[in-house]
Amino acid sequence: MKRLASWGLQTALGLLVVSFAAFTIITLMPADPVEIAIRTWNLPATDETVAALRQDWGLDRPLISRYLRWGWDFLHGDWGRSFRTGEPVLTEFLHRLPLSLSIGIAGLCLALMLALPLGFAAAVKPGGLADRFSRLLSVFTQSTPVFATGLVLIWVFGVQLRWIRPFANDGASLVLAITLVALHSTAVLTRVYRQSLQEAATQPWFATARAKGLSETQALWRHAHPSAFYAVLAAVHSEAGWVIGSAAAMEILFGLPGISQFLVQSISMRDQMVLQSYVMVVAFWMVSVDLLARLIMLRLEPRLT
Amino acid sequence: MSIPFRPRLSGALIATSALVAVAWPVAATEPLRVGATFITSGVDPAKGSNGWALTSHGVGENLFTVDRQGKLVPELAEKAERTGELTWTITLKAGRRFSDGSPVTAAALAAGFERTFANNKAALATGGKLSFAAADDLTLKVSTERPVPLIEALFAEWPLIAYKPSAEGGQAIFTGPYEIADFKADAALQLKPNTHFEGASKRASVTLKRFGDAQAMALAFQSGELDLAFGLPSEIATRLKGDPALTVKSFAVGYQYFAFLNTTRPVVQDKSVRQAIDLAVDRKELAAAINGGTPATGAYAPYFPFAGSQARPTDPAKAAAILDAAGWTKGADGIRAKDGKALKLLAITYPQRPDLVTMLPVVKAQLARIGIGLDTQIVDNISEAAASGNFDIALWAQHTAPSGDPAFFLNSMLRSGASLNYTKYASPDFDAIIDRFATTGDPAERIQIALDAQAKLFDDVPVSFLVSPVWYVGVSERLQGYEPWGSDYHVLRADIGESK
Repeated sequence: MKRLASWGLQTALGLLVVSFAAFTIITLMPADPVEIAIRTWNLPATDETVAALRQDWGLDRPLISRYLRWGWDFLHGDWGRSFRTGEPVLTEFLHRLPLSLSIGIAGLCLALMLALPLGFAAAVKPGGLADRFSRLLSVFTQSTPVFATGLVLIWVFGVQLRWIRPFANDGASLVLAITLVALHSTAVLTRVYRQSLQEAATQPWFATARAKGLSETQALWRHAHPSAFYAVLAAVHSEAGWVIGSAAAMEILFGLPGISQFLVQSISMRDQMVLQSYVMVVAFWMVSVDLLARLIMLRLEPRLT
Repeated sequence: MSIPFRPRLSGALIATSALVAVAWPVAATEPLRVGATFITSGVDPAKGSNGWALTSHGVGENLFTVDRQGKLVPELAEKAERTGELTWTITLKAGRRFSDGSPVTAAALAAGFERTFANNKAALATGGKLSFAAADDLTLKVSTERPVPLIEALFAEWPLIAYKPSAEGGQAIFTGPYEIADFKADAALQLKPNTHFEGASKRASVTLKRFGDAQAMALAFQSGELDLAFGLPSEIATRLKGDPALTVKSFAVGYQYFAFLNTTRPVVQDKSVRQAIDLAVDRKELAAAINGGTPATGAYAPYFPFAGSQARPTDPAKAAAILDAAGWTKGADGIRAKDGKALKLLAITYPQRPDLVTMLPVVKAQLARIGIGLDTQIVDNISEAAASGNFDIALWAQHTAPSGDPAFFLNSMLRSGASLNYTKYASPDFDAIIDRFATTGDPAERIQIALDAQAKLFDDVPVSFLVSPVWYVGVSERLQGYEPWGSDYHVLRADIGESK
């Protein structure tokens, strides 16, 4: 319980630091959102227009005052209004984020589900079909952009075979997007899992387990798997960041109405409230994955955590 | 109790027929699925280029417009009469309604136009700031800041979409054949027929989906997921034309592809460099690269009477001689330099016009032949990038006569200090030429002014005109009757050509 409270405190402090750092960086970016808006919307660049926009967007107040005000409002469910669309940021996020998160979470879960059997099969027979396939997958996903792979798969399954309607935003098209997101993580987690199983197999206690009459497969599963799974969970944490980028690419490729297309346009307009909220959502996603991984690891092996 | 086979069969047939009867109208009213690489950035018609986009999406209309022959015709207005040097009276058509059912009145439109002129500098290009007064429900009095001999053309310009501002910051109300049902910024627009526009019952609703990648849109069309794919990349369109199951139509557009040359940048402000760039570009090669179109003759598509008659010349030898004479000498790496400074420029363009992306490396190779190095960038928000001035060359696509008249493009993009003058070209002589537009409504005289203005541009080269393109659209069987015209100013229209 004490450990959980400590993690909770660390997480809250981490989010606070991230929020302040992000707010400061976004605010101090060289381009002024008011100037950008005036240029993009062809607004008359009169002193009155500039002053009205600065006041409307709260840009006429000192940074600390704006940050405190933003933080208070953010915690109370008011995430501000998008400079660009004029809509409440929270509403935009509530409409778009579920889809983005679903793709990310499903991609990560699918990667885990595929990586464990593949990695195990690769470890049982090094140099075998599964091992060679996982190595090939690893090289392929490292060297080919997910966007290009996506275009090829859409052409094969959507245009040639007509098995799916890739842009219908239905279940099948989402499955393809999720699979593409999962590919990279599957390759990474498979290799991590396989490597950990192989390392465990070189330990003296593994030889003892074999001496007791267990087959290689049985010994790997019963004695090497727990520590290898522990390593996989640690790797999941780093993959959580990768998944965000892949999900964004898939949203643009499949034309999915997630948060990424909205974000790309918001970046070019220096839409501070949107960027700040996005940073917070990503930070929350990262700490949530971290916390979940830690809890599972704690459950698996309390002494190591 | 068992039911004999025949009654069971009859029952099944009746049930199936009933199901088909119920399901048929549903299938028949399935939304049309339209794909494009652009979508309005918002629903406020006074912001940026939303006025153009909302008209293109079939949501809004203008007082006057251009028909498929490129002729200026009344739309919401019936006629316009000049009553003084700076005053006009516009009579509105009777019986027109906004999509909320309220009548289109002079007062409502005046409120919308006043709002646009207060919030969008692009509206000021031709006549300066206009003021409006409703004399009665169908009579709109207009005063211009500068003389405007052809007010019909001014009201056909894209910023001047007609609308009724809503009370309390809600959405504006429009008059077009479609009404916005749902809008997801940067992703999709759901449209339903405007029930107060003639023929609403014959129109299906529309789902307009924005594709961030033109290749993905082409795949969506190939996989049968789009009834209309607007703006297929030319290299794909050529391939798709070979597929008998797909229909791809091409059409000449009023757009021109050109290169803005930033006259405020240290190197490009040298006129000899701009002239060399203009001469070094092989326009035939560019047209071939995008599989369509012809070398540009000037600022306008060749079918306009005010277009130039000769293709812009290509002469790399002369370009090299101009640079030699200006002191730009070739180094060992093939790049020219002067006073220790390399002739290396930054060229930008944007993915929403895939043809420009195709053209960019070709331009780079052509300029390299005369010793000009090019760094290239694809930027997502070209308006912002161009307005920031951080470029030497910007490849650009623009409809240069959207109202059927040559004045708007020259006034809004090349007049000294104009809001969209990204080249920062400032020439009193050029301004004096286009000032003459304000003095005459005579078509022949306006053609001559446009030709004089183009001659001045050819000489000063703030812009290098490249290609008059051909565009491609893919249509499904359901939209076989769709005839593309009006470039992308009228993509969704009342006469969309849906087969029944």
